[in-house]
Amino acid sequence: MQAYISGRNVNLTFRPPNRGPVRALQNFDIDIGEGEFLSIVGPSGCGKSTFLNVLLGLIKPDSGDIRMDGKPLAGPGTDRAMVFQEFGLLPWRTVQANVELGLELKGMSSDTRREVSQPLIEMIGLSGFEGHFPHELSGGMKQRVGLARALATDPNVLLMDEPFAALDAQTRDLMQVELLRIWQTAKKTVLFVTHQIEEAIYLSDRVMVMTKRPGRAKKIFKIDLPRPRDYEMRVTPEFNELKLQIWNELKDEITV
Amino acid sequence: MSDEAIPRQSFTDKHRKVLLGGLAVAIFLAAWQAVFLVVPFNKLFVSKPDLIWDALVDLIVSGDLMRDLAISAVPFVYGFSAAVVVGVALGIVMGWRERVSYALDPIMTIFYASPLVALAPLVIVFFGVGVSGKAIIIFVLSVFPFIFNAQAGVRAVDRLLINVVRSMGGTERDLYLKVIVPSVLPYIVAGARIAVGRGLIGILVGEFFAASEGIGYAIARFGDLFALDRMFACIFAIMVIAVVLTEGIRWAERAAFPWRVGQ
Repeated sequence: MQAYISGRNVNLTFRPPNRGPVRALQNFDIDIGEGEFLSIVGPSGCGKSTFLNVLLGLIKPDSGDIRMDGKPLAGPGTDRAMVFQEFGLLPWRTVQANVELGLELKGMSSDTRREVSQPLIEMIGLSGFEGHFPHELSGGMKQRVGLARALATDPNVLLMDEPFAALDAQTRDLMQVELLRIWQTAKKTVLFVTHQIEEAIYLSDRVMVMTKRPGRAKKIFKIDLPRPRDYEMRVTPEFNELKLQIWNELKDEITV
Repeated sequence: MSDEAIPRQSFTDKHRKVLLGGLAVAIFLAAWQAVFLVVPFNKLFVSKPDLIWDALVDLIVSGDLMRDLAISAVPFVYGFSAAVVVGVALGIVMGWRERVSYALDPIMTIFYASPLVALAPLVIVFFGVGVSGKAIIIFVLSVFPFIFNAQAGVRAVDRLLINVVRSMGGTERDLYLKVIVPSVLPYIVAGARIAVGRGLIGILVGEFFAASEGIGYAIARFGDLFALDRMFACIFAIMVIAVVLTEGIRWAERAAFPWRVGQ
């Protein structure tokens, strides 16, 4: 497999004022194939979200080599887009204006923006809500907007930082189905961070288990379940076997 | 008729809030008027609503009230505008730069908490009884709500939203225009509501101490002349202006920031 994104020996230490330094990532290695759906599970604070922010270009690692499509990563760019756990919608912007944010920052005219945002809003099932403000939407609707906003600039890579963690269990299940549907048509490379093993298996081609801080890759599981996947797959023996294996790797890293 | 039929709301149910509020005002005025049926009335020491109303009509018809208000409005506009500009700029810097806020927080807090009207005689000595002296008193009283609210607004800017715009390739200018300004504006408008009240105190105090014209001077002069009906008429005019300004800002706030309604 040709790696589309590769990270080698990535090291990162936070130096917060008035406190001791925190090693977030230590010799972290990762390879993600083009069009692949890779999930990272790991204990809280292991640096998995930090790595997403590094890929996004918001944080510079202390050392290490990160390449995307063979080129070294340099700062933020519209070839990557993040879906945030807390949605990150601008409260003073309507659904449509939020979806169009990235296009606006690129300097696109309002007519062209509309041509892009209209089909996306339709795809996420929010037609008729274009003029609504975020506070008028449910959590699931807000994250649909977050997803549409990330897709609007047509990035190659979607970074998802526990995107469904703030949603209730049923909404979460529906959003997972929705995400798979969109991923299958949009053909994006997805790096998905989550705490939930079941979610990781259901969505991914591969699942990476990370160690506790300072985080590095502990083990990678290939998920050979057929696609398209349906909800019933979650109760098959193969699914549960994977769930158990991943849990066995993960539980040693978790301190309560 | 089905059982689920929604009972129709009567007129009094629907407008309960306005009716009860209006009723309280009416009872207050009626009680004020009625108390002099029992208590002997001396117009040198007290006044009552019907006399005040007559005096108000007189002052409006003669044009005196409008003249005094117009005179007082000039320093108010100068002082208040300066307070907006200086207060917002200083508050934003204090919110953004930690060291500036460490340095200035104590002194600003002391000034905000103290009864600065006590400095009014001094200001008059320095700047005279004209427009500039009054404007400075108004500025000093109304600048602090802008400082503290702008500072709080900047501190409340959501880091996540900054990261969202930065991650999409937004420049420093984009951060200001698309995140910081929209976050801070509602705080500044809320500060303006407080500042209006303090600014009106400023104009009255300034004109009490030393002035030869203006609404504050009119109140003080009518008081000295024992023309209490006219004095109360002027106070009533100031009250109406204060309510109109603060409620006007509240209304503008709802119209301009619809996303705040749900927060």
